[in-house]
Amino acid sequence: MSLEERHIDTVFQPPLAAAQENATARRRRALATTATAIVVALALAAPLFTSGYLLQLATDVLTSIALAYSWNLISGYTGYLSFGQVAFFGIGAYATAVLVVHTPIPWYVAIVLAALLSVICATALGTVMLRLRGIMFALGMLGLARILGVLAQNIPFIGGAVGLTLPAQLTPIPVYLAMAAATLVGFGLNLFFSRSQWGLAAMGVRDDEGAAAALGVPTVRVKVVSFVLSALVPAAVGGIVAWNRSFLDPPSAFDPTLDLQVVVFTLFGGIGTLWGPALGGLVLMLVGEELWAYVPDLQLALYGLLVIAVVLTFPGGIVGVANRFGWLRRRPILAPAAFPAAERPAASTRTAAGSDAVLEVRDLTVRFGGVVALDRISLTVRRGETVSIIGANGAGKTTLFNAITGFVPPTEGAVLFEGAALAPISAFERARLGIARTFQIPRLMDSMTVWENVLLAAGNGRRAAHAVDQAAWALATVGLEAMWLEPAESLTPGRQRRLELARALALDPTLILLDEVMAGMTRDEQEEIRAVLRRLKEFGIAAVAGVEHVIAAIADLSDRMIVLDQGRKIAEGPPEAVLRDPAVIHSYLGELQ
Amino acid sequence: MLLLQLVINGILLGGMYLLLAQGLNLVFGVMGVVNLAHGAIITLAGLFTFWFATTTHQNPLLLLPVVFAVMLAVGVVLQRVLIEPVVSAGRRAELLSLMVTFGLSYVLVESGLNLFGSQYVSLPDLQTTWSIGGLAINEALVASGVLGAAISGVLHIWLRRTASGKALMATSQNQIGALSCGIDVRRMRAIAFAIGAALAAASGVLLILVIPLAAPTADTLTILAFVIVALGGLGDYQGAALAALLLGLVQSFVGYYLGGDAEYVVPYLLLIVFMILRPQGLGKAGRPIWSDKR
Repeated sequence: MSLEERHIDTVFQPPLAAAQENATARRRRALATTATAIVVALALAAPLFTSGYLLQLATDVLTSIALAYSWNLISGYTGYLSFGQVAFFGIGAYATAVLVVHTPIPWYVAIVLAALLSVICATALGTVMLRLRGIMFALGMLGLARILGVLAQNIPFIGGAVGLTLPAQLTPIPVYLAMAAATLVGFGLNLFFSRSQWGLAAMGVRDDEGAAAALGVPTVRVKVVSFVLSALVPAAVGGIVAWNRSFLDPPSAFDPTLDLQVVVFTLFGGIGTLWGPALGGLVLMLVGEELWAYVPDLQLALYGLLVIAVVLTFPGGIVGVANRFGWLRRRPILAPAAFPAAERPAASTRTAAGSDAVLEVRDLTVRFGGVVALDRISLTVRRGETVSIIGANGAGKTTLFNAITGFVPPTEGAVLFEGAALAPISAFERARLGIARTFQIPRLMDSMTVWENVLLAAGNGRRAAHAVDQAAWALATVGLEAMWLEPAESLTPGRQRRLELARALALDPTLILLDEVMAGMTRDEQEEIRAVLRRLKEFGIAAVAGVEHVIAAIADLSDRMIVLDQGRKIAEGPPEAVLRDPAVIHSYLGELQ
Repeated sequence: MLLLQLVINGILLGGMYLLLAQGLNLVFGVMGVVNLAHGAIITLAGLFTFWFATTTHQNPLLLLPVVFAVMLAVGVVLQRVLIEPVVSAGRRAELLSLMVTFGLSYVLVESGLNLFGSQYVSLPDLQTTWSIGGLAINEALVASGVLGAAISGVLHIWLRRTASGKALMATSQNQIGALSCGIDVRRMRAIAFAIGAALAAASGVLLILVIPLAAPTADTLTILAFVIVALGGLGDYQGAALAALLLGLVQSFVGYYLGGDAEYVVPYLLLIVFMILRPQGLGKAGRPIWSDKR
């Protein structure tokens, strides 16, 4: 990796190992929090003692910050870049304007109602739009905002292209207070995302959606709720702005400039960070206020240049720069002051009872177009058993694992877990039922610490305290407790494998599927993984290990061995017998003369 | 007769749309970057053509090779300065490249506004209408539709038949594979972006003959191009041709029967609806434009 790449790779930074702290440090932090709160409160209160221009400027600054905070939820924390969140600003603005014009409802109530309406719209839209990813979602949202703008032009009831005039009442102080409240709600939501298991799940979706689902994260729900939360405040802000301006028309309600501003401010401050939107909004609005007087026509061009400059020079924004000096770092979520005691939590009763066959695969066939990846595979894994599945590259091991974990739909056949068919269940539900997996190439959450990677899996449906115990136990089991606060991506490949194993363990599984668990490991690293596999036996967790090359390293740990060749099962039995099977030797080595 | 008229107009529009999308397709294919400034380049080229033709009273089509050549050079510079640093950035490349080109589009659009104003303009040249058996065939539409399709065809032949074109295709299919065949991938990226920008500019020259343009149309054009690429399936040039044709026809009909607002919304609606229903695109070779692979 070149220097340049390393530099640019720091957009979403994992919290660094500064969190181990003692009582004095904690007291200092409490003091800092109090001081921050007082400064913010004073800053928010100060404009109330000014009037006219300054109060309006303060309102404008807060408008930007509130919008930036909202955008940060879906695009920063959850990683779904949206170029159309202004849609919800417009919906809120129009809802408020219509209520104020046509009903006797006071404006501040209308704003709350508008926010609720926006939440309802966002739930419906999010369910559809979030099936798109990456650029498709970004442009889809842009398109949505444009469509709504055209729609508004063509509905005479809401003023059409002419616009709506609201009763003109000068209420600068209540407007300012309402905007401050909206901003605080936006900040509160960001605080929640940066400190909670919910936020961790959102960041999991951002870092690697598939891996997050394999860790039991209900990715669709997380995305949609984040999207809905990011639509709440903009609607209120839109309503406040409409009331304040006493006029609303489609170009001002669905103004693409607003979207650009929000992107610029958040990026400049630091995308996906708690303080980024506030800092970016504050600095750029104040700088801009001075600047636009000189270059009134170039505002957007300068914003555009700024985006380019930030991305090329400090993609982490102000907060990214501050992080280099140890300031404004995100604290690892739910990390205790010291590594917690690592007893196995009592709740792991899953492995104690139940039917003997944990996993049953019946006549499973998976086809991709004309390619038959799996051809009528049947196999059974019993409780606590270790089964190794060997086969050359392309034999179908990964497809088998994908079908069992719900990543690939079976063409025919069934997968039964603890006696119940798994057919329509999605990947995250299977993980929660107790089917854990690792990936062929480790898929770690690279903006998170080792601790958070494990906590993400441990946190599913568990209360915080229990999740912490579970995560600690899983990390200690694989022997990574010493580096629990390191960024996950800084681990050596062998340790990354063990971290994946810890994540799987944190799900409290009955069955773990290990895809190429020894590939590319040194002797020592293999030995460490083997130690973990022996522990699985102790815990009564069944393991299915897919292996291509290092068969010797897995054979003596396996109760049974299954051989796949081009999607078909060609042998099954005790390892020593299977490895002597002529068909197996043929599959691996070809025809022996 | 009306139907036939609308179909012919739609097909000619489709030929132009194809060219409009080719640059975006090429850039996305080779470096995985959706150039959000694509529409801005088209618009600026169109507005420049308008200015050139109205001040010099020359045939606007004379500008085609000039604009193409100039944008090749500008494209190389833009790619080296703005795009190259972010496309090699690993896992955040997509986010950062979107941001950079998003920023660039605003720089270009605002420059356009300041240079050419915000009014919609269209060229009075080539407005002869031929009447053939009751059909009214517009000269400008024929010129732009045929030229657009022709340039796209040349691009297609270059990509499939020549060594340099094949090197570019190889890079778009597999960077590491291309690298190990001795292809200078960095250079290919620069070439792809330069040609992409030049094609965008060329389509701007043709577009102003047919459609009124103004600086704010840039976003709509980016979306239009993106819709065609996405509908056709990424890297699927036949799929793109099909999609361009489809979009031309749909817009021709919608514009006639439902009016300008509806015509404006068509690309956006198609984008959302089609992407949700059929993410793999129209063509066969197409693959989803996003994937879980990193």
